[in-house]
Parts: sequence; structure tokens; C-alpha cells
Amino acid sequence: MHLWIDRVGKRYKNGLWGLKNFSLEVQPGVLGLLGPNGAGKSTLMNILSTITKPTEGTIKWNGIDIVRAPDTLRAVLGYLPQNFGVYPNLNAVEFLQYLASVKGLDKQSARKRIDELLTVVNLTEARIQPLGTFSGGMRQRVGIAQALLNDPQILIVDEPTAGLDPEERIRFRNLLTDLSSKRIVILSSHIVSDVESVAIAIAVISNGSLVRHASPEQLLREVEGNVWRCVVSSAELAGLKSAYRVTATMQRTDGVHVRLVSDSPPPGATPLPPTLEDAYLYLLSLHKKSNAA
Amino acid sequence: MSMRVISAIARADFLERVRRHSFYFTLGFSGLLASAVYTQQIVLRLGDYRGIYNSAWFGALMALISTLFLSLAGFYVVRNSIQRDEQTNVGGILAATTLGKSSYTYGKALSNFLVLLSQVAVLAASAVLMQLMRGDHTLDFWPLFSPFLLAALPVMVLVAGLAVVFEAVPLLRTAFGNAVYFFLWMGLLSASITLPRVDLFCLGSYMRSMQAALIQVHSSYRPGFTFQIGVGEAQQQFEWNGVHWTSMMVLIRLVWVASALLLPALAAFCFNRFDPASQPRTVNHRPASEFSIAARNSPTAKPVPLHSLPSRPKPTSFLRLTIPQLRLMLTSASRWWYLVAIGLFVATLATPPTVSRNILSFAWLWPLSIWSQMGTREYRYFVFPLIFTSANMSRAYVPAVWLSGFIVAVAAGCGTAVRLLQAGDAHGLLSWVAGACFIPSLALALGVLTSTGTAFEAVYIVWWYLGVLSHVPYLDFTSSPPHSVVPYIYFLLSAIFAAIAYVRRQFQLETS
Repeated sequence: MHLWIDRVGKRYKNGLWGLKNFSLEVQPGVLGLLGPNGAGKSTLMNILSTITKPTEGTIKWNGIDIVRAPDTLRAVLGYLPQNFGVYPNLNAVEFLQYLASVKGLDKQSARKRIDELLTVVNLTEARIQPLGTFSGGMRQRVGIAQALLNDPQILIVDEPTAGLDPEERIRFRNLLTDLSSKRIVILSSHIVSDVESVAIAIAVISNGSLVRHASPEQLLREVEGNVWRCVVSSAELAGLKSAYRVTATMQRTDGVHVRLVSDSPPPGATPLPPTLEDAYLYLLSLHKKSNAA
Repeated sequence: MSMRVISAIARADFLERVRRHSFYFTLGFSGLLASAVYTQQIVLRLGDYRGIYNSAWFGALMALISTLFLSLAGFYVVRNSIQRDEQTNVGGILAATTLGKSSYTYGKALSNFLVLLSQVAVLAASAVLMQLMRGDHTLDFWPLFSPFLLAALPVMVLVAGLAVVFEAVPLLRTAFGNAVYFFLWMGLLSASITLPRVDLFCLGSYMRSMQAALIQVHSSYRPGFTFQIGVGEAQQQFEWNGVHWTSMMVLIRLVWVASALLLPALAAFCFNRFDPASQPRTVNHRPASEFSIAARNSPTAKPVPLHSLPSRPKPTSFLRLTIPQLRLMLTSASRWWYLVAIGLFVATLATPPTVSRNILSFAWLWPLSIWSQMGTREYRYFVFPLIFTSANMSRAYVPAVWLSGFIVAVAAGCGTAVRLLQAGDAHGLLSWVAGACFIPSLALALGVLTSTGTAFEAVYIVWWYLGVLSHVPYLDFTSSPPHSVVPYIYFLLSAIFAAIAYVRRQFQLETS
């Protein structure tokens, strides 16, 4: 099970490149895709899910070019897009039955699988309610269920926890961890904590190119010794923000507690153990600096 | 109600419409009508006579085509402005503002009018071109444009207002509303000829004026005033210089406009202002069940094990996909819809073949809202990323949708097929099969090309009215004279439309 992305680029009709010279090798497990808005994550997801074709480069699934033979990947693909719709007059079972037919499941397997999936996503109780009456979170869980219908070998999920309450988010993370043991899961999210808890590899994208592809441990090691905390007054905060990459602030009685990433600490700062968010923001600031240079 | 707000609503809605590909099909429809007039496929005959090609004749001809065709097809084209705001979720944003219901409905009516006006403008420009290319006289401004100003535009104001009313009233938003509008249009058409004071389409006014001019010079003329298709231009000519607009006639037009201007106010009264409370209650509003409470209180939220499938699913074929597609199509219909469909089926089965054929006309109009979903549903509900990331869908999906639509046509009209079989009418049966193939092909092609159902609704209604109801030669896809080639033409058209749908969808998937 192997996905190889080789020098892939996507140029839109307006001439802008959404993705440029992007290469990545993906093995089983969860690959977290992190990047700011407009970085090219959705473009990459659309290419990998065969919705759009790259302008250049190749993508091979187990050695087969998916641009030439998209059905090779589609047969084993589960895809949860960031934005998707449902048929409002169908209930969850009918909608999943419909998509099970689309994905080639026979009637008996589909029925069993749908029952199982509705339990997994905690929608058993609402199974016969029209989807038009579902809340955003419930609809998202239907999306998760449909992505898993064909027992995919490669699961691509774009902002999967959007609209889920904390309980369901934890449930979904656990599900992803469980699933990732024998398949490739590509998880795109703005929420670093979602990625942090499940990913065994992280790809950071910015301006359509790959900034870093490493394990979370490697990323954390790279920022170790560069995360600081200092306490400043509200008046000093603006100055600090312009000079350093501030990742968090918290108002306290003794002033503003500031968390920042920097190669050199501001006066009076104390070192902190890094988080993945620190590492991500540090990488982005380095990338920005190198681009500016 | 502020004019600034109304114009802002209308402007945004109009721009959103004209920047969609479907708008060009709308204009193309007007262009098609104009070209049919130019090539003498559509002609206005007064028995064996036609007017000489002067500005008055071309102006009246094209304006009457506007009032007749655009008042029917145009209604279905513009009847989606509130629906669009719902689908794009813009409605929710608007609902949270201070926007008044009247400002909104008047804005939408104005936008509808502008769309219809653009279609009328295409026909008016065509009238000028025809006069310049084929006219016997020089261009006269008033005789050429007064029919558009006084006959066509009041009709368009009324249609624009009615479209908003039909969107605002819940019952009229459905297929039932489509049928109601059609019969309303038929009623107004009939009144237009017989009742001078209710002459919305100006048909009666023009008829009387032309007949009076004709009878003065050709006393042998026997009354007749018909729009005909495919029969060619009349050989004899007479001079007609336009309708003399009396103050009473102008006043009647103004009364129509004034009535039309009240329609958005009526729509505002019925409009729910995107209130979700007017929709079914959501599941969230129900008290949490024991099961969900247990799940919420669970501190660990342990995942339920998900087992692997015993065997890997094979890519689905179009035949296997057809049943789910069909189920999907039919789910959207209400019990009332089924009741009427069953009634029509029984009627086609229980009557002699000739009567059964007439009932078939309505049996093949009733599923309009079902066919108009073909090729558009996946875009309308934004499920295409879920469908087209599955194996074989680029090949199987369009044929499966077509077959589902064909099955609907067969089911709706099978009573007539049985009667034709019993009567041993092989040619009639051939025509019936051609019709059953043609409808889903046209629906699918227009659906895939425009991503909305309105193009099909508009084209089909006009085609159905001219061909099936008025029996215009070559346009009737349900029956044809014995030994006629018409069924074969419709088989060919069906194949062409289906191929267009298939190729276009492939292109959409390739270039997305």
C-alpha cells in the first residue's frame, strides 16, 4: 500500500499555481496535512481524491498512475470533502444505501456495513430521520460514515471534525487511530490538536509547496529550545508581537503571559516544552522569512 | 421599503444569474425563436395572407412571439430566485438583517423582469435585423418598437411578479405550481382572444387590427389568425401599418402593469423570510434519548469496532446503479403526485387508444419535476464529490440516470402502450417508444449542460404545448401519422441528446 506524489503542480485558469512541484511519499498510518488558508491543502486533497487533475507531475497508487487510471484509486478510496451536501428528503440509511450502490457494495454487505457504521458514528437513533432535519454535526457524521462504506484502503478526510462536539471529536480521532493501522489516512485540518493526537507523519504546506514532511517527534525536536514564555504589560504586548512570533497570550493578574517561538529569547523569558502548534508556527515563520529573502 | 435596497437585491440577483452558463441558454432560446421566424419555421398567417415585410409586421410578429412563448417558458426560467438564496445559504444571511420582506420580493421581481427583458431585447434586436435584411420598407421606429413596449413588457412585468408569488407560496413551489401556472397561462391565452378587456397577450388587439386592414383590400378573406410552425409562409400579402393604440387600450395595459406591481406585495405576505421554523423541526430539538445521553456522558468515547468487509466491492455497473437512481428520483414526489400519476395511468388504460393518447399528453407532463432533476441533482445538493470519487461513476452515472428517466416515462405512459398494443398499432407504439426515449434524453442533456432544471422545464413545456397539445408537425413526440419518419427523428434526437449529456459530463469531470 503506497501512494507516491511526484512533482505535482496545479495551475488554475487564472494562471495562478495552487500547488507547485509537490512531492510526497505516503505509507500506511495517518498523515496530517497542515497549512494556512490558501496554502494548497484543498487543491492537493482534490487531486488525490481524483476530483481534479494535476497540471503537471504524477501520482501513483501502488505503482499505477491515478491520473491515467483514476478508477484504480477510486475503488479503494474513502473521501470526506470539506464541503458536501446530502439529499434532504432521504434518511441516513437511504442515503448511505444509495452511496453503497454507487461504490459497488452488494445489498447484503451494504445493509450490514451501514448498520455498523451508523453505530460507529453514533447515529443509530436518528437513522430514519430525513437528512434535511440533521444538525451540522450529524450531517458531518453521515459524511464520515459514507467515506468508510467501501472499507477504503486510502481515506482522505478534509476538516473532518468541523461541526462536531468535543465528545464526537474524540470518538472520531479514536476511530481514525483504529483505522490507520492498515490503511493510509490523509487528514487535513486547521486544528493542530486533531492532527497531533493521531498523525504519525505531518506534512506542512505553504504557498502551494511542501515546507516539511516529518514525524511529530522530529518537528518537536526542531523547535526545542525555541519556545519561550514571558510576562509583559498590555502596553508592551504590541511591541513584542511585532518583534516575535507570538503563539498564545493569556491575561493574568500579573500581566499578559505570552508564549512565543524564537531562536533568541526576549529579555526575562523562560523556556517552555514545545507543542506541535509551536513547531508548525515556527516552521511557517521560517518559510516566510526564506521566501522574503 | 427602500428603492436602494430593492435595486441592490435586484442587481446582485441579476448579476449572479447572468454570470451563470445557463443564462446563455436562456438567451439562446430567444435566439432560436428569432431564427425560427427568420427561416419561416414559425409564421403568422391570416388564412392565406401575411403582412408585407414592414416594421409594423416584424415588430408585431416578434413582440407577439415574446408575449406567447416567453410568458410560458420565461416563467419557468425565472422561477428560482428565492430558491437560489436558499441553496446558497445567502437567505440565512439576509434573514438576519433588517431587510424587509417587501423589499426582498420586489427586488427579486425586478431581477426576474430584467432577465425577461434581456430575452425580449434579443427578439427586438432580431426584429430590427429582419427588417433590415428582408424588409420591404425602411426602418420605422414606433411601429417596430411599440409592440414590445406596449404588448410585451407589461406581460413580462406580470410574469416576473407571478414567478415570485409562485416561489413564496409553499404549495405553488412544487410540481403542482407548475401545473397551476400552465393552466393559468392557457386561461389567459384563451381570454386574450375572446375578451378584449382581458387581452393580456394583445393577441385579440393585433388580430382585430390585422383582420380589419386585410378585409378592406381583400374582401374574399375568411377570418383566420394563427401562429404556425413548419407550414411555410403564406403566399398572398397585404399591407398593415400597426395597431392604432387608443387611450383605452393603453389604459388596459397600464391596469395590467399596476396589477403586476401588486404581486410582489402578495408574495411578501406569504414569504417565510427563510424562517427555519417553517421547515420540519430538527432532530436536535427533541429530548436526548437514553442512548445519546449515555454516549455524551461517556468520558472516554471509546470507538465502536468497525470490521473489514469480507470482500472488496467491485465497481458498480450502470444497471446496478439504476434502481437507487430511480428510488432517488421518486422519493422527491409527494403522495398527491403519486395519486394523480396513478389516476392518469388508469385513465390511459381504461380509454380507447385515441383518447388514451390525449391523456398520455398529460401523463407525460406530470413527471416534469422528476425529469428536471436529471443531471442536476448532484449539483443542486452538492453531492458530486461523494459520487464522482467512486470507481466507474464517470461511465456508469449518466447511463443510469438516463435509464431511470426512461423508466419513469414508461411507467407514466404504459397505459397508452398497452392500448396501442391491443389495437395492433405498431407505428403508434413506435412513436410512443420514441417519445419515452426522447424525454429523458432532453432532460439529461439540458440538466448536464445548465446544471439547473429550469432550462428543461422551459423548453419541455413549450415543446409539449406546441407538439403534443397543438400537434404542430414534427414537434409531437408522442404520436405521428402512419408511415411517418417522425419517430425515427426522435430516436436520432434522443441519441444525440444522450450523447451530449455523456460527453459533457465526461468533459466536466476531466476539466474540473
